[in-house]
Amino acid sequence: MSNALWLAVLASATGTLLLRLVPLLWMRRRLRQHDGENGSEALPQWLGILGPLMIAALFGVSLVPRHPDALSWLATLIGVATTLITWRFTRSLGWPIAAGVAAFGAVVILAGLV
Amino acid sequence: MSQLAASPRPWLVGLREAIPLLGGYVPVAVSFGLISVQAGFSPWEAVAVSTLIYAGASQFLFVGMVAGGAPLWLVIAMTLLINLRHVVYGPNLAPWLTASRWWPWLMHGLTDQVFALAHHRLPQLPEAQRLGWFTGAALLAWASWIAGTALGAVAGNWLMARWPLLGEIMPFALPALFLVLVVPRFTSWRWSLALGSSILVALLCTLAGYTNLGIPFAAACGALCFYLVKADTARAGGDDE
Repeated sequence: MSNALWLAVLASATGTLLLRLVPLLWMRRRLRQHDGENGSEALPQWLGILGPLMIAALFGVSLVPRHPDALSWLATLIGVATTLITWRFTRSLGWPIAAGVAAFGAVVILAGLV
Repeated sequence: MSQLAASPRPWLVGLREAIPLLGGYVPVAVSFGLISVQAGFSPWEAVAVSTLIYAGASQFLFVGMVAGGAPLWLVIAMTLLINLRHVVYGPNLAPWLTASRWWPWLMHGLTDQVFALAHHRLPQLPEAQRLGWFTGAALLAWASWIAGTALGAVAGNWLMARWPLLGEIMPFALPALFLVLVVPRFTSWRWSLALGSSILVALLCTLAGYTNLGIPFAAACGALCFYLVKADTARAGGDDE
């Protein structure tokens, strides 16, 4: 890489770190000013709502298969259903994911054999 | 989690709970390493980009724009524009962070997936365990991203030819993880409507080819639904939760 390209990498890296860091520092300062309040109460309501909604949006984005054909959608649907059912019974983090991936993979592999 | 009471090492718990992230990280990192080498970067340069920038989608864009000869100021601007959504992550975690000076440095590891996991887990953890837990989870995710990039840059072609289905199946770990993190939030009609609309709008944006724009846009649509339902129930004089 040329020196200019290295500089571009460093600028992008620094900028990305600042995007993650500066809002945190702002919020910590705000929390200090609201000393005595419960931390989550000092969080502006709109910001507290955006957190879970960003996770929901990430879920929506990640749902779209790499090759969105009928088979991939079917595998996604079965994977999601398996994850949900396993979560319903275990209320844990790891098992529902393992079960969902296994179900998704089983559909993809079985469809490849047919 | 009940296991935490018995575990003296919170970083190990964080490490273990971040393992599902690997299913999504490694195949994508392998793809990034492979694409970087094909775009003319050396394996070391690809690894440096993953280590320093550490933001999936924007890295693909960075490498693609550089390979396409775009001006570097535009490459930097577009990289930062894609990563702009990260600004809401830190403040959402701030109420559960302790006074340690390590937190600002750990924000380098605050990716979409680590945020989703930490947003779910940090409030459940005792204060003394939060720093260790986050360090373990974030470092595993970062290390897997770097290692995946190196693997892709050195042996990506061989890997894709040898196990073509692996790269197709393992990424389902990410939607499964996000689903497990988001499902407990469906606690009322108001939240269900807001979360459901976010999911649907994000899905439609991705299908239309606007993945990165889709994330903040979908969250904003969900927030709009959240406030509209409140306004509606307030007019009707009902309880909004």
